[in-house]
Amino acid sequence: MGHGERGRSSKKMKYGGKDDQKMKNIQNEENYYDDDVDEDSRLGEREKKDTDFTKLELKPDHGNRPLWACQDGRIFLETFSPLYKQAYDFLIAIAEPVCRPESMHEYNLTPHSLYAAVSVGLETETIISVLNKLSKTKLPKEMIDFIHDSTANYGKVKLVLKKNRYFIESPFPDVLKRLLSDAVIKKARYCSEPYGDDGFTIGKTSGELEAGPGELLNEAELAAAAEEKETHSFEIDPLQVENVKQQCLPHALNYPMLEEYDFRNDNVNPDLDIELKPHAQPRPYQEKSLSKMFGNGRARSGIIVLPCGAGKSLVGVSAAARIKKSCLCLATNAVSVDQWAFQFKLWSNIRDDQICRFTSDSKERFRGNAGIVVTTYNMVAFGGKRSEESEKIIEEMRNREWGLLLMDEVHVVPAHMFRKVISITKSHCKLGLTATLVREDDRITDLNFLIGPKLYEANWLDLVKGGFIANVQCAEVWCPMTKEFFAEYLKKENSKKKQALYVMNPNKFRACEFLIRFHEEQRGDKIIVFADNLFALTEYALKLGKPMIYGATSHIERTKILEQFKTSKNVNTVFLSKVGDNSIDIPEANVIIQISSHAGSRRQEAQRLGRILRAKGKLEDRMAGGKEEYNAFFYSLVSTDTQEMYYSTKRQQFLIDQGYSFKVITSLPPPDAGSSLSYHSQEEQLSLLAKVLNAGDDLVGLEQLEEDTDGKALQSWKLKRSNGSMSNFSGSRNMAYLEYNKSASKKPKDPTKRHNLFRKRFG
Amino acid sequence: MPQVKIIAKNFMDMVASLPAIKLDKLYNNVFICEAILRSLPPLAKKYVLQMLYTDVPVPATMLEEWVLADGVSKHRVAIDRLIQLRIFSELVDRKKQTSYSLNPTFQTNLRKHIISGGVLPREPMNSDNAIKLPSLQELEAYALRQWECFLLLLINSSKAEKLTGISSSMMRIFQRGLLSQRDKDGPRLTESGFQFLLMDTNAQLWYIIREYISNAEERDVDPADLISFLLELSFHVTGEAYNLNTLTEVQKNTLKDLADLGLVKLQQGMKDSWFIPTKLATNLSVSLTDSSVRKEGYVVMETNFRMYAYSTSKLQCEILRLFARIEYQLPNLIACAITKESLYHAFDNGITSDQIVTFLQQNSHPRCADRVPSIPENVTDQIRLWEADLKRIEMTQAHFYEEFPSKDVFEAACDFAREWRGLLWEDSKRMRLVVKSEIHNQMREFLHSQSK
Repeated sequence: MGHGERGRSSKKMKYGGKDDQKMKNIQNEENYYDDDVDEDSRLGEREKKDTDFTKLELKPDHGNRPLWACQDGRIFLETFSPLYKQAYDFLIAIAEPVCRPESMHEYNLTPHSLYAAVSVGLETETIISVLNKLSKTKLPKEMIDFIHDSTANYGKVKLVLKKNRYFIESPFPDVLKRLLSDAVIKKARYCSEPYGDDGFTIGKTSGELEAGPGELLNEAELAAAAEEKETHSFEIDPLQVENVKQQCLPHALNYPMLEEYDFRNDNVNPDLDIELKPHAQPRPYQEKSLSKMFGNGRARSGIIVLPCGAGKSLVGVSAAARIKKSCLCLATNAVSVDQWAFQFKLWSNIRDDQICRFTSDSKERFRGNAGIVVTTYNMVAFGGKRSEESEKIIEEMRNREWGLLLMDEVHVVPAHMFRKVISITKSHCKLGLTATLVREDDRITDLNFLIGPKLYEANWLDLVKGGFIANVQCAEVWCPMTKEFFAEYLKKENSKKKQALYVMNPNKFRACEFLIRFHEEQRGDKIIVFADNLFALTEYALKLGKPMIYGATSHIERTKILEQFKTSKNVNTVFLSKVGDNSIDIPEANVIIQISSHAGSRRQEAQRLGRILRAKGKLEDRMAGGKEEYNAFFYSLVSTDTQEMYYSTKRQQFLIDQGYSFKVITSLPPPDAGSSLSYHSQEEQLSLLAKVLNAGDDLVGLEQLEEDTDGKALQSWKLKRSNGSMSNFSGSRNMAYLEYNKSASKKPKDPTKRHNLFRKRFG
Repeated sequence: MPQVKIIAKNFMDMVASLPAIKLDKLYNNVFICEAILRSLPPLAKKYVLQMLYTDVPVPATMLEEWVLADGVSKHRVAIDRLIQLRIFSELVDRKKQTSYSLNPTFQTNLRKHIISGGVLPREPMNSDNAIKLPSLQELEAYALRQWECFLLLLINSSKAEKLTGISSSMMRIFQRGLLSQRDKDGPRLTESGFQFLLMDTNAQLWYIIREYISNAEERDVDPADLISFLLELSFHVTGEAYNLNTLTEVQKNTLKDLADLGLVKLQQGMKDSWFIPTKLATNLSVSLTDSSVRKEGYVVMETNFRMYAYSTSKLQCEILRLFARIEYQLPNLIACAITKESLYHAFDNGITSDQIVTFLQQNSHPRCADRVPSIPENVTDQIRLWEADLKRIEMTQAHFYEEFPSKDVFEAACDFAREWRGLLWEDSKRMRLVVKSEIHNQMREFLHSQSK
């Protein structure tokens, strides 16, 4: 198809350097996972991907080594190797996971992943020597060069906030000199009396002592790593910090700065009296992610990726408790603000008057000179007129120096909102939390430089095996369209109703009804039914007599319904629109039935699955081989021969790459279900069809989440359903779900607008 | 082109199908008698040995007394086999009593062989300095390499190197039935071709040798001579050198072909030339059931449809390529993915989902082989579903009728077609209908009569 081809060739001309050949291969891999590359160009990619690396030389003892490294950056890891655990910890620090099923993992080395590696303290030579040790073959020269090239500039410079003064710090005086040759930075430098020959302050920092790769180093190397290092630094004007940071970004000087917070030596900001309660025992992977953050006694900014239900909040609370300074916690909506406040009280000894919520409904303020504020992104970034009270609180936020900026669900927040939030709040350390770090859009760049690199990413399957998250049985239920619905589906004049038609397919309804009945009655499960299509949501919920929550449901009513769902024996099923995708915590639920979804969004699928990942029951039952190996169920209902089938395959990709498998079920409801389920007779089906056809086009489309008055919904985003097929519609500019925009509009973005590091991948 | 059915049966089936005179001639060779004896089903073997020193026909009733009631079917098979191979001759006397006697040539030769042992027509050459023999491992590696190379050429892979001996016309004969010569995209593997590739080496060898023998006459070689030479070869010692000058001209030519298949290695010294039989040659007379030792599997199939094959073999890579997309070839690993497209490509070539699933199961890596199921269920399900997807449309030959003169004629035609159970589709508004081709003639006659 035209787009892909044209896009590629033009980029080829632009970035046809000799390095690019090497880069291109790697970037192509990413393309493969890119939602917006259309099928045909992908196919081309695949053919090219048949890459013959048989010439690589195997080491004689290759059987004992766990991985293969290809010159294009792809790394294969055997999970059954005795060195797997160490190799995994190392790879997750230096490479981007591509897929992690049971026996063999695949990773990609990318400039970004290497940036993250450097920022958690790994050095170029360490990366190469450990990789070489683990590799079954001699490391391809291309890969070594690539690591050298990518890490040459990263991690050389740190921005340190010490005693409320900003310092630029580096072990390499030459680099500092280079920075100072830049006019902006030169201007920003505080000229104090010169120390040493270069005029830089010389200090000492202790080296890294990390459990992961450390185990693989020999003693000499370990000693070298632990040795204290001399650092050079100069001070800059706090007002110029943003400018200096800008100047160091890859498109300018290309020495992106790492930010670290030496909180122990911060005597200016008052301490917050917060300790973890004794029962808050971080699990091994939580501990590991924290160790990446606090690797050298300082707090690093960055992102931690843990599956939903794996206890992200404990990581957040632990981080706050270690830093022991004021903490600003940002969530996506009012419900999750409540949940975060609750989590803080659950895991730590924080006093009620030290923590406050700031939403449109509750405008609390903490007492004393340090505390925790939980609010939404919207409340902080809101641009319009605020009430007097809010204005005061915002002003306080602005003036305060925060020890930790804790950001939940960073994958859903658009970049401009981040910028705004970060410019308003002055923080020493930023920690982003998410379950699904989206890899394919521009925002990974933004996240990398606005928050920091990815510090840690857990492996879903390992957590399942350890019994930390539920072992979910995923199933795709194929529901054939009834003859009448399919006939209407194919008609051109019904193009706007296609979605409504395949969602309202009577066979799908019956399958859904059957599943609800089965899980409620036979297993006593708690069920969430997800529908993006409001028309369908209402029809299903009313017909089955179940409560539902969607965008317009008030906060009070939401809380009430969720409370009933949690406690009442009679409310076992709740219908949710896409408002339930993120952050609404419903730990009781263990079954999800998805009747309609958001085109090909892999993230939505993963987030929804996340709703039931919280492990339930006894640990020993959940472990592999226990009596309840599967204790959670995820059903995705699709109408066969419709667009849904195509989307469904795409949506599942992320989870499949994490090692989940979808079982296809073709026989639901069972043929003998007959009239015990709704819409058995043709008359009923036809009247349903008439209802769908008679509903206005605006009614049967996707839910349109208006900006909630109380700032519950993240961001207003409207969808226009234009004529023609699904592939035609496009979203508005200002969207929270960027990925959606990409998958739907199938147009490569203007390459010049891409981040420097990412531009090349289209070459 | 005749479809060659792939049967992984052994050499003896072919021996059995030789004409009587040829078969009798074969039994002049002591080694063939021994090879035949070895190949017999156990019960048949016992009968032959039991009757070896009996010079009078043995009544069938007596033979039947030797077996227990539940062994009757095996007895039947044994007797049939022996008669087929003309080792037993059946005699029916006037009282309609059946009795059996051993083939006299066979009997004499076997007796001789048992008492004095056989003497091969040639002895191994004395190993002196002129002859440097390869080690057994080297020889085995050589044989496998030759065989793989031959197979790659057979499936027309671009990766194959040219062979020296086997002519391209002979290659085409081997390919008959395995590849289909379809349109411009060149020959493609057929269903039986795929099945062929999935068989173990011995079975494949049998198939090729069979084709080789059946084609012998075209090369002016007597099939019986060829069979006897091949059987004789199987009694040579692996790894020993035999002088070429002990062979006839025809046999020398045959050896060149066999070298291409990896059955023998040819070497040339200062004044002599010799051949060294490999395991492939000496295994020829071993019956198939004994030799099909399962090779260790090498395929790891993941739930995300990615497949990792621990293999260095180009051939295995080509086999995987038949239904999967090869993404990375590493020194000892092939990384590939099963996709809808790659499977559709395979189905298009006549490979079935069952074959693929069986292949994956049979070759699954020991690490996954203990897992139940060894191949993730969602993958096997999906492979089958994709195949089923292609079969949803059923083709029916049909005829289309339109422009009916009146509604009455149209309706009568519909009724008529319905009566004959041939009505496939009707559009009463525009008066068009489609009927099965089977009733086209009746329909035409009917319409003809209507228009009068």
